[in-house]
Amino acid sequence: MAGVLVYIEQVGGDVAAVSRELMGKGQELAASLGGPLNALVVGGDVAGLANQAAALGAATVYTVSDASLATYTTDGHVAAAIAAVGAAQPALMLASASFQMRDFGAALAADLDAGLAVDVTDLKVEGGAVSAVRPSHGGNVINTYTFAAGRTVVALVRKQSFAEAAGGASGGTVTSLPLPATTMRTQVSNVAPKTGAVNLTDAAIIVSGGRGLSDKDNYYKLIPPLAEALGGAYGASRAIVDAGWVPYEHQVGQTGKTVSPKLYVAAGVSGAIQHLAGMRTSRNIVAINKDPEAPMFRVATFGLVGDVNEVLPLLTAELRQRLGR
Amino acid sequence: MHIVVCMKQVPRDNSVKINSDLSINADGIEKIINLFDEYAIEEGLAWNEKHGGKLTVLSMGSDEWVEQMRRALAMGATDSLLLKDASFANLDTLAAAKVVATAIKKLGDVDLVFCGRNSTDDESGAFAPALARALGWAQLTYVGKVLEVDPAGKKVTAERHLETVIETVTASLPAVVSVIKDINNPRYPSLLKIKKVAKIQPPVWTAADLGVSGLSAAATISSRVPPPPRPSGEIIDGPDAAAKVRKLVDKLLENQII
Repeated sequence: MAGVLVYIEQVGGDVAAVSRELMGKGQELAASLGGPLNALVVGGDVAGLANQAAALGAATVYTVSDASLATYTTDGHVAAAIAAVGAAQPALMLASASFQMRDFGAALAADLDAGLAVDVTDLKVEGGAVSAVRPSHGGNVINTYTFAAGRTVVALVRKQSFAEAAGGASGGTVTSLPLPATTMRTQVSNVAPKTGAVNLTDAAIIVSGGRGLSDKDNYYKLIPPLAEALGGAYGASRAIVDAGWVPYEHQVGQTGKTVSPKLYVAAGVSGAIQHLAGMRTSRNIVAINKDPEAPMFRVATFGLVGDVNEVLPLLTAELRQRLGR
Repeated sequence: MHIVVCMKQVPRDNSVKINSDLSINADGIEKIINLFDEYAIEEGLAWNEKHGGKLTVLSMGSDEWVEQMRRALAMGATDSLLLKDASFANLDTLAAAKVVATAIKKLGDVDLVFCGRNSTDDESGAFAPALARALGWAQLTYVGKVLEVDPAGKKVTAERHLETVIETVTASLPAVVSVIKDINNPRYPSLLKIKKVAKIQPPVWTAADLGVSGLSAAATISSRVPPPPRPSGEIIDGPDAAAKVRKLVDKLLENQII
């Protein structure tokens, strides 16, 4: 068993950014493991992605192509991955930590009796053994798990944990594998984009509101316009989601989404531990609150003590003027 | 039909400490039903009310967990089952799923299992898929709406709410379904019902009862630390709100944050 196998995800026919990141880190890890960096492309039509994966540095791109694989199903995609793991014998299999890949990766690890690490933020190889760093307990605990060599490890990695592979590699080969016979226990009848989808986990800037906004009307009067002026998405604390002001889709925190944007603006969000769990790894945090003792100020890059009802309209106007939006 | 709901007890918040042996110390923090599991219980109750039969709340843990299992009974679960053994204490998610799968197989007549999407302490979301694979059953994860449970036709149809899309998927029964937060409104058990179940002791199955042995975690924890502190920030001062806002925007532009 040696080397790394990266499960390639696609967005609109191109290799997803997170998969390019895994190919980047995979190169280094494969070298430490003394084996090749390989990739796996599963789907209905795989040729374009396979070529892209080869350019990202894969020695061998394994493809499993079948009409039944055009839409994700656990049974189909796990069966395809087991075929590729059989062929590549990787010490480490990498995929993203998206919901779909958690569905896939945990099932794959269970079938392979492999090691499993979910929501990984760093990976190391020492003496042939893989170590995976993953936060738990809302980011309050940073765990390093070390896996004994000799059994495949499946690691599902958080977006933006690693730098992307440069691309432009040549010499990789593509090997097509047949889809093994498998019982398909699920059938997907429809895939619909979420209406008014807010992919908070992808947003570079997020403006979140909380109880400090007093009521629902104020939230919508103040938060979306500020988010728009910054070109960002808007989020919410659990308190105001539970109060019915804002749909769950927008909730940031322990029981909502975990985000790590370039800028997180917390407006009238006090900073309960459950909320901090979902955003404390943001690169920059701006806290706006009239209570100078609010815990959010302790993690803020910039803190502004003031009433959100007064500050936010001024901030939105200032940003519109200065950014020309 | 027989529905099983898997339930875990967790600390109310994650302000836990780390013991010198690297175990997690949640002493002094109130213990509650894992939030997502409460939605799983409610979903199980709704379909149990429609189709009749049994609803078993199943937990793997210590006697300390019985209080939360009683809460599920007060909500309306008809049966309970506690898997308890010293050898279960330090299992990882995959091994724990194997133990629970063995218990569900031993129950024999289970059609449908509901779980929460993840526990709020470990947060991996691996349990439901691992359980489904250990059982050899279909899995539907991140379900935001169960459209139909058809025990006669042996089918369950549900919406999976992923980051940007909603999938409508039909699975054959038996199946494992994991649910997200906004799927329903979990009921509050009445005081009368809480009193009624206060003395119920869930049946206990041990490793010997299940015939499981030799399970272990795949990894060792080589380090466990609190997160690094964030660099200390700067409070924006000014004579009034307008001045503070101008200064804040200056800072954001200077530091190329926007």
